[in-house]
Amino acid sequence: MKPAPFEFFAPRSRDEVLEKLADYGDDARVLSGGQSLVPLMNMRIIQPRVIVSINQCRELAYIHSTNGRLVCGALTRQAEAEESAEVRQLAPLLSEAMPLVGGAANRNRGTVCGSLAHADPLAEPPAVAVALEAELIVASKAGRRTLSAEEFFVSELQNAMRPGEMLEEVRFPVKLGAKAAFVEVANRRHGFAVVGVAAQITVDGAAGCRNVRIAAIGVGARPLRLRHAERALEGKSVDALLLKHVSEAAREGINPPSDIHADADYRRHMAGVLAVRAVARIWGVAIEGT
Amino acid sequence: MSQKLNVRMKVNGKAYERQVEPRYLLADFLRHELGLKGTHIGCEHGVCGACTVMIDGRTARSCLHFAITVDGAEITTVEGLAREDKLHPIQQAFHENHALQCGYCTPGFLMTVTELLCRNPDPSTDEIRRALVNNICRCTGYANIVKAVAAAAEVMRGAAGRS
Amino acid sequence: MAASAAGTGYIGKSILRREDEYLLRGNGRFIDDLSESRDQIHLGFVMSPYAHARIVSIDDGAAKALPGVIDVLTGVDLAKIAKPMCTAIDLPGYVIHERPVLAIDKVRFVGEQVAVVLADSPYVAQDAIDLVHAEYDPLPVAADLETAREPDAPLVHDHIERNIIFRAEFKTEGFDQAFAEGEFVLKETFRTGRVAGVPIEPRGCLAVPDHVGDSLVFYSSTQVPHILRTKLALCIGCPEPRIRVVVPEVGGGFGTKAQIYTEEIVAAALALKYRRPVKWIQDRREELLTSIHSRDHRYDIEAAFGRDGIIKAVRVEVLTNAGAYSSYPFGCTLEPTGGARMLVGPYKIRNYAYKAFAVATHTCPSGAYRGVAQPSCFLTIEGMMDRIGRKLGIDPAEVRLRNIIPTRELPWVNVVGVRYDTGSYEESLRRALEIVGYNAFRKAQAKGHFVGGKYRGIGICNFTEISGAGAPGWRARGVAHLPGFDSALLRVEPTGKITVYMSHANSGQGHLTTFAQIVAEQLGADINDVTVVEGDSALSPYGTNTFASRSAVTGGGAAIRASAKVSEKMKRIAGHLLEASPQDIVLQDGFASVVGVPRMKIPFEEIAKTAYSMNNRGLPHGEDYGIEATDYYDPPLATMANAVHIAQVSVDAEDGRVTVDRYVVVHDCGRIINPVIVNGQIQGGVAQGLGETLMEELVYDSEGQLVNANLLDYLLPTALDVPDCEIGHIESPSTDTVGGFKGVGEGGIIGAVPAIANAVADALSALGVNINRIPLRPSYLSKLIRDAKGSAAAA
Repeated sequence: MKPAPFEFFAPRSRDEVLEKLADYGDDARVLSGGQSLVPLMNMRIIQPRVIVSINQCRELAYIHSTNGRLVCGALTRQAEAEESAEVRQLAPLLSEAMPLVGGAANRNRGTVCGSLAHADPLAEPPAVAVALEAELIVASKAGRRTLSAEEFFVSELQNAMRPGEMLEEVRFPVKLGAKAAFVEVANRRHGFAVVGVAAQITVDGAAGCRNVRIAAIGVGARPLRLRHAERALEGKSVDALLLKHVSEAAREGINPPSDIHADADYRRHMAGVLAVRAVARIWGVAIEGT
Repeated sequence: MSQKLNVRMKVNGKAYERQVEPRYLLADFLRHELGLKGTHIGCEHGVCGACTVMIDGRTARSCLHFAITVDGAEITTVEGLAREDKLHPIQQAFHENHALQCGYCTPGFLMTVTELLCRNPDPSTDEIRRALVNNICRCTGYANIVKAVAAAAEVMRGAAGRS
Repeated sequence: MAASAAGTGYIGKSILRREDEYLLRGNGRFIDDLSESRDQIHLGFVMSPYAHARIVSIDDGAAKALPGVIDVLTGVDLAKIAKPMCTAIDLPGYVIHERPVLAIDKVRFVGEQVAVVLADSPYVAQDAIDLVHAEYDPLPVAADLETAREPDAPLVHDHIERNIIFRAEFKTEGFDQAFAEGEFVLKETFRTGRVAGVPIEPRGCLAVPDHVGDSLVFYSSTQVPHILRTKLALCIGCPEPRIRVVVPEVGGGFGTKAQIYTEEIVAAALALKYRRPVKWIQDRREELLTSIHSRDHRYDIEAAFGRDGIIKAVRVEVLTNAGAYSSYPFGCTLEPTGGARMLVGPYKIRNYAYKAFAVATHTCPSGAYRGVAQPSCFLTIEGMMDRIGRKLGIDPAEVRLRNIIPTRELPWVNVVGVRYDTGSYEESLRRALEIVGYNAFRKAQAKGHFVGGKYRGIGICNFTEISGAGAPGWRARGVAHLPGFDSALLRVEPTGKITVYMSHANSGQGHLTTFAQIVAEQLGADINDVTVVEGDSALSPYGTNTFASRSAVTGGGAAIRASAKVSEKMKRIAGHLLEASPQDIVLQDGFASVVGVPRMKIPFEEIAKTAYSMNNRGLPHGEDYGIEATDYYDPPLATMANAVHIAQVSVDAEDGRVTVDRYVVVHDCGRIINPVIVNGQIQGGVAQGLGETLMEELVYDSEGQLVNANLLDYLLPTALDVPDCEIGHIESPSTDTVGGFKGVGEGGIIGAVPAIANAVADALSALGVNINRIPLRPSYLSKLIRDAKGSAAAA
């Protein structure tokens, strides 16, 4: 289908973008990679009256680390994050997540922040943001504010931004030496997840698992921290018995949806299975590394 | 609302300048405005990959881009692969390995494979299959496409070795 | 006459395709690629959002006022210029009904078109569609196959009682007695989900009238140019001589594009009305909503058998979902008759009873998608073979061998009267078992089904594939409006090159290459001098076109017969020129020579010049000018190809995902024309079969809403999902057909569905899990596994 008509602006600077967003408020949508937005526009599910493209704002394309945070600007392409050695070192969970996002053509143009802003409940970058307790820097003409990932993701395709605001930057707290895994199950080998689990753990020799962060997609309207599973692991060494507890703990406190792809029962079951797989993978890598 | 904006881009090395509605999809622009019909449309929701082109040297789904968004960019389409007299080694390998049947999805695959082999000249079968999830084929069942990619990779490595 | 003794052996060779170069360069011209003219009108259709409703009103004022909109028309307007579509099936138990090209007072499925907008561009057309405001009075919906026959179910058509559009019954004499003699009886219900062909190119057409406005060139992404032309003529009242149908490159058909659709008739009628070219290109959502659907079958089967595993009698009730209308040209009788008649497959089942139904529901009409009922009926009978084996403790392969029709007993007429001329049911099974290492697998499996967290299983499908049906085959299915024959027109041009006009239309099968192989071999020509032309009704002789695995059989037969006439004439002229008897002339490599005297030879060009009176030689006395022959070939009932597919799978105990670890095919499509193309057809069909079994399903809710009309939610297999098939061949040339060819187009999908389903069933049989429905999504299998383990634990 062809999209509905809209007015288009392609400002060359961040400030101009924010001006436009202030002018048009609720009528405007930010366009970066378009990999999530344009399908909805083509299907006319959404029909924004104004599109403000940030694709000419080179100043928004950056990856750097500052103050113990791995920072990505709004125009950072997913492929750039995927290929970045800095990301691999400082936010390995983001590196692990990237290959799961669509095909290469989606990642070449899609942006990390674009995926976050879109807040698709099955998208991987939001799961990473939630798992790592990222800070999302939201900008408007009036200034900046920082939202936690928890605050930012409200519900399915809903974020906490207001009209006139743009997600300018995401900051992932760095845990040096942490290991990460992102595992999914889908109804075919590669595609939208039915359930996915994102995990990052610092494996600390005798002290076992530290800074355990686990988030799941496909078990609610937004990515959810599996806090029971995190607590089960924190400070422990992984063995078969512990993994059994992790599996049960991961299933607690979630109320997954049912749809044509899978029912709630399966999703709950898989939250446990995937949490174990993610942890086992991290632990296995850590073990191999020593 | 038929606001028309100026867009400039290079496609297969040739410069173009046109006036387009903002909503005009890049796929339609290439096909109907520039007459480059090799890029095909299969879904317009970013799944099938038949519309795959290169934007600034990286594969992209042209059905998910507005022409106006790629103002200033360099686009490569399937028409930019072969020489006048000779097919590109990837195209030749597709031919020799019966890696196409109806040919509708093929241009998109060729672009994906071009990028794959540029970045990974010696991919394993698994790496090939992983890269190919970008595109869907309904005719071939993929086996011959995978074979063709491996064959093309070998030819291209050989040529690179010689040059 | 069979193979030419003199021919260069092109048949049987994997000649590379001549279609490839232009397709690879992006120079193929599909329907949306054809040149456009400035005055072209783009159509967009307003679709009903309700599955069943009365149309109260349609307000098109806002749409008409939109700049760039030329007009908006409704069902009432179209009824003045186009007759309704109607599929007449000459079988008792079929209820005829009509479908207006645009709905007039009622809609019967979500997606049925109620209005058409005519606009300057597809973008404006979509804008206009959004501005058309239709008011509906929703009515109760019968969306589900299994409840639509109930007495209180809403009727799709008022005059079709209990929504049963078609019913058929059959019983062999003495059936009840024979059934009672079976020592054991097993019963099962098999259920297949609704799927669709989903070619990557959606449908579309372009109708170009001449300046006077009374004749038409109609381009369509279709598999059936001649059938379309005749139907257009009948529906829009434009005589056939003034309609030319041209098929551009077609981006996949799989049977989906072998139907004639309302949009085509609307486009043709509007082109003549407005005297401007009219173009329509479908988008993917429309494609999934309105291009024919398939499967959504239920088979209730009972088999009576002895302790030796040999089946005494089979009874089956076949329920198929016709959707809201009987599609054209095959009708909704296609799937029930196909399934019921093919179910006995390669087995000696002599006592057989069936009841078959096509049930109307408020869903998209069903039609011919690759395999047509055979994936479902073989899922059923092959599933029973495995069950018999499990019941009696006999290996399922052995059960099959005991029931199979031995090759020495062919030709065989099956219990419903279908003739199997040649085949290799036993040989192909033995060979496939050997290739896959079946005994070794069973031995390993005996030690434990569960290895490395996965249940491992192996599944067989041994099947017959009906192909190349001629008129008798179609008449037996009550279809009178499909001719059944196909044709070939061969012409040797003045320069000695050969043009072959075939009545077929290709959508990826490589006809331009394979038919050239046949003709070049038959005529003794150089294949590079043979050009095949298809898909243009002004050039190609009439025929039944391409679907149901017919082209190799009917086209091959016609090409051989026409070649015989042409080569006889060439030999007569050559004999005249070389002063030898035509019987002593041999045609080879583009030359005619005298047997035993190789230096006495002339090129085809010389013969042709003589025939066209372009040299100073004369034709033999009584010989007419030109070298051209048309021949028609109408095969007998059909010819049966056969194959065995064996799938080896692992089912993950935790997540329920199925991996196909190995996939073996031994295929017999008679005389093979191009082995690589045959293998490509098999591999492609297997991919679709895998999709149908593991991940594809079109889901309607109880209100008749198609929940997943997009490719994000209707899952097609990717390169990571489909294994490489290991394919072996046996050639049992058909003795009933000219050329000995059999079809292969559908074998891949027919074998894959039962083989993979049986493999999963085998893997989980140790748990006592019953597999009798597809698709087998991971969540479904996971639940079955956990429930089985749970009850095992509880026990």
